[in-house]
Amino acid sequence: MTAPEPEESAVPQGTEDQVVLRLHDVVKIFPGVRALDGVQLEVRAGEVHCLLGQNGAGKSTLIKVLAGVHHADAGEITWRGEPFAPGTPQAAMRAGIATIYQELDLVDDLSVAENAFLGHEPSLFGFTRRRVTASRTREILARLGHAEISPRRLVRSLPAAAKQVVSMARALSHDARLIVMDEPSAVLAHDEVANLFRIIRELTAQGIAVIYISHRLDEIRDIGDRVTVLKDGRTTAANLPARTTPTRELVGKMTGRSIEYVFPPGRDAPPEEDPLLVVENLTRSGEFADVSLTVRPGEIVGIAGLVGSGRSELLETIFGARRPDAGTVKLAGKPVRSVEAAVRGGMGMAPEERKSQALLLDEPIFKNMTLASFTKFAKVGFTDTGGERAASERTAKSLELRPPGVIRPVRTLSGGNQQKVVVGRWLLGGTRLLLLDEPTRGVDVGARAELYQVIRDLAERGVGVLLVSSEVPEVLGLADRVLVMREGHMIHESPAAEIDEDTVLNLVMAGSLLEGEPA
Amino acid sequence: MITETLPAEKREPRRLDEGTIRNLGLIGVLVLLVIIGIITRPELYSDPAWVRNNILVILQQASAIGVVTVGMTFVIIGGGIDLSVGAIIALAGVWCTTVATQSFGAAGMIFTALMVGIGVGLVNGLLIAYGKLVPFIATLAMLVAARGLAAQISDKQTQISTNETINAIATTRIFGIPLLVYILAAVAAAGWVLLNRTTFGRRTVAIGGNEEAARLAGINVKRQTVLLYVLSGLCCGIAAIMLTSQATSAQAGMANLYELDAIAAAIIGGTLLSGGRGTIVGAVFGVLVFSTITNLFAINNLETEVQNMVKGGIIVAAVLIQQFRYQSLTQLFKK
Amino acid sequence: MSALSRRRVLFGGAAVGAGALLTACTSNNPTENTQVNTNEGNDNAAPGEKVVIGFSAPAADHGWIGAITSNAKAQAGQYSDVELKLTEAGADAATQRAAIATLIAEKPNIIVMLPYDGKELNAAGIQAMQAGIPVVNLDRAFPSAAAYRLQIKGDNYGMGLAAGAYIGAQLKAKGVSSPVIGEIAGIDSLELTQERSQGFTTALAVYGFKVANRRAADFTVNGGQQAATDLLQALPKMDALWNHDDDQGIGVLAAIDQAKRSEFFMVGGAGSKAAIDTITKDDKVLKATVTYSPSMASSAISLARLIAQGKGMSDLVELQVPKEIMLSSETITKENAAQYAKLGF
Repeated sequence: MTAPEPEESAVPQGTEDQVVLRLHDVVKIFPGVRALDGVQLEVRAGEVHCLLGQNGAGKSTLIKVLAGVHHADAGEITWRGEPFAPGTPQAAMRAGIATIYQELDLVDDLSVAENAFLGHEPSLFGFTRRRVTASRTREILARLGHAEISPRRLVRSLPAAAKQVVSMARALSHDARLIVMDEPSAVLAHDEVANLFRIIRELTAQGIAVIYISHRLDEIRDIGDRVTVLKDGRTTAANLPARTTPTRELVGKMTGRSIEYVFPPGRDAPPEEDPLLVVENLTRSGEFADVSLTVRPGEIVGIAGLVGSGRSELLETIFGARRPDAGTVKLAGKPVRSVEAAVRGGMGMAPEERKSQALLLDEPIFKNMTLASFTKFAKVGFTDTGGERAASERTAKSLELRPPGVIRPVRTLSGGNQQKVVVGRWLLGGTRLLLLDEPTRGVDVGARAELYQVIRDLAERGVGVLLVSSEVPEVLGLADRVLVMREGHMIHESPAAEIDEDTVLNLVMAGSLLEGEPA
Repeated sequence: MITETLPAEKREPRRLDEGTIRNLGLIGVLVLLVIIGIITRPELYSDPAWVRNNILVILQQASAIGVVTVGMTFVIIGGGIDLSVGAIIALAGVWCTTVATQSFGAAGMIFTALMVGIGVGLVNGLLIAYGKLVPFIATLAMLVAARGLAAQISDKQTQISTNETINAIATTRIFGIPLLVYILAAVAAAGWVLLNRTTFGRRTVAIGGNEEAARLAGINVKRQTVLLYVLSGLCCGIAAIMLTSQATSAQAGMANLYELDAIAAAIIGGTLLSGGRGTIVGAVFGVLVFSTITNLFAINNLETEVQNMVKGGIIVAAVLIQQFRYQSLTQLFKK
Repeated sequence: MSALSRRRVLFGGAAVGAGALLTACTSNNPTENTQVNTNEGNDNAAPGEKVVIGFSAPAADHGWIGAITSNAKAQAGQYSDVELKLTEAGADAATQRAAIATLIAEKPNIIVMLPYDGKELNAAGIQAMQAGIPVVNLDRAFPSAAAYRLQIKGDNYGMGLAAGAYIGAQLKAKGVSSPVIGEIAGIDSLELTQERSQGFTTALAVYGFKVANRRAADFTVNGGQQAATDLLQALPKMDALWNHDDDQGIGVLAAIDQAKRSEFFMVGGAGSKAAIDTITKDDKVLKATVTYSPSMASSAISLARLIAQGKGMSDLVELQVPKEIMLSSETITKENAAQYAKLGF
């Protein structure tokens, strides 16, 4: 389509001295999380290096380490041949690394020129030199091919695409040698993306390196030179050619197994009973549409789909935490319209964000376990702490909670054991239907196997389970029946035994990564 | 029966002790203040009758604000704030001392004060829970509005209570201890039980500690929010009666800046301003520390300005200690 | 009545019984006891040319300010040739400035104003004077002499002097050699409070006495009660007490009753009706009060009328009203209480 492909000339021939940035085994630890756990990255002058990875893979943390917002706890970063550890964002800027964040960090009520030179305004004896600032901004804007943007205009009045140009002007005002762009296309319309790519090509032609982050494979194919894939804070693949690496391989590196799954042995299909949960034509505009599904007692139903496919929103709507625009949810024949009704009816949910959505981190384990059932233990409004503790201890034991004991604060537990506490909460509450949203996120290998066993045991006892996971093997290994969700629609349903990972992956990926333009 | 306490748990009670440590710290501060008092005014402290009376005066001065602080502590633990407590007291005090209300006798006056407190608290709660106003804004607006209404009802005059029963509340002593002190003790004890032994308390901690988790566990967050502000209002109604009795009158300007004293006392008592944690015992100790400082400054004839500076210093110190302790926690939230 | 319905909405059925019976009547009704100059029999009382008086005072949050406004209204009502234009001064100096500007535009013959703060409203005074409208300043002086035609004010320092003199004389008469004297002040950051305390200290010094303990309250009953409780605890034995303000004095007296103390005598300040009644009955420790009377508002209206009509004060030789009048602070005791009863507010 576009005239002469700049391909071969733009892709630098990989000699070592062209490498401007190198990360080796970079680790960043937040309390309780290893956000980066051994990242390798190599960026050459004049290339567009794409970073690929799911939400939570560590891309944002990595950017912030480069930008001087966070400091790496271990590993080496080399920038233009020298060890690099920026103490502040200003230091990173001065060293020539500029970052354009997803949420553009422009000051709406300052002019284009003031934004471009924010923090390093040309000045004389403390007075800003407005004319100099304006003329230098004009030069940079012209270099970016946007001479039509007036340096004196207020940023507030600019459209999104122009704001992005201003962000880029800011990067150039620092004489950046590396520009990091975090999902720059997310705020742009289709034709504006083309313009963005034109600018990027001009920048790389001047020898500036670009780290480009996007979920859209088509963009990566179009603008990228090489790709590095992150998963769970680790580099799972480095320096793949952006245009020729098969989609399957990229997707596999992103979502594929980086750990061994140990599933409980297969089992017989659960008895055919009347469904416990009946969801009909459930719709929330912009999130999911016309979803119908059923879950029978003792059955595990798995929903596969990427982040953003509307899975979490669907679960929360079924649970009564979001109001549907249309459709019904019935639990054992009774409509569910609020969380209280859902819980009363015997529904429980382990949400995706365990810490922020499910746990009182500083409260003891047993109070977390009885959060949904303490009123049942209570007599005329007085809590029965002893009864709660005893029951929690029994549940903790059956879940093999480690370390044992229910008095320590939940904060001190590992991710897997925290998840057991959440599951235990619903066991204690006598739950008949459990909704699990990414139950093994942030859970280590050993604990995963235990959680799988717990989930299977629950089903054996007749509890219906509706499971959402972006890890396809998890869905296939646990569920009796598999539903595939893409961009808010249920596109496939089949018994787990009749579908394999490849088929699911293809179904999951088809629209969102390959066909451009997600909804 | 929980018989099987595992060995690992023996090391646990560290966290449970945290509150106790803080309370011991506050007792330490109280002891220190008394020691300063003994050193600076030995002639007063050498008289046992005076010392006994001084303790009672400190407790009595702490009584009304203490009752308000108990309610405030609940609101803060539940993740909110109530800036309108002083204004509610003024409105309740003024309303229960109008000539019309006084004609109903002591019972009518008490009923009116409590109903006004509950009613204003209900409005606060509904605005916050269902109107989705930020607690700070809603109760700030109520602060202004309730004082305005109080000024209108009283026609900006001081209303004298002619009811002997009401006025006797402040003078009655049982076994030598003022009735007001018993009221504070009763409210604090009830507050302690409510917070630590009832489902109401558990819900309060849950919605303050993690509102989303509480909601997704099936707790009716909105209803609980409303009830917390009603509870605070009720405490203000009780305090209004106590203050009216003490001053034998009420006016629109009464209980000036009580909101600040109550919040400060709750915080130095270990209540986390972001919610989810706090103790009633700590809050009462917080009030006693302030009351003792006032007393210390009074017996030494020192200016109130200095006293306010010392109070400010104590608040800052308490919060700094708190921040130091929860540093790891805040770091996690930043992520 | 809209207030009533609002209350109903607020509290639903539960309190309707109490709410419905609410009336505007309170325990001390200001209109019963306004201070009006009715001494007729001089030429000035005869109706003259019509005078429009603009009046502005802060919103009353205290009995004394409430009395200022009601006194002004009542006095104006005495004259058939006076029309009083009241403007709400709102809640702070800025609002009052705006209110004065509006008032100037209405071109009254003269303006009587009790400013929030003399310094902050100085410019407003000048503005009115320049517009040809004479200004009568009540109580809180303007720094610039060009900002007013007449200033009439109380004597805060004199109050302190009077209270100190009374206490000194009484104690000397009783033969107390080194008395323990307590003081309960108003809001400590106000200049008037400082002036009162300075006067008090100065007068006591004449007798060789000094203040043993001083607590500041906040001009509220509740604040008075708390401060008095602290003071009584700090001074287990006391000989005399001066409380700056009779409004907060209600709380001070309550605290004294609650502490069952009676070994001392107390002097009040301002001269409220409640205080004068108590002094007359002589059943409490309150034996005297030093005046700072809101009757100055009545006098201000009378004098404003004379200024507008170009008349002088008939007992003075001068043809015009003088530029400054400072009321003396008088001491009300049981002996002369009857005479002052009509001036209590």
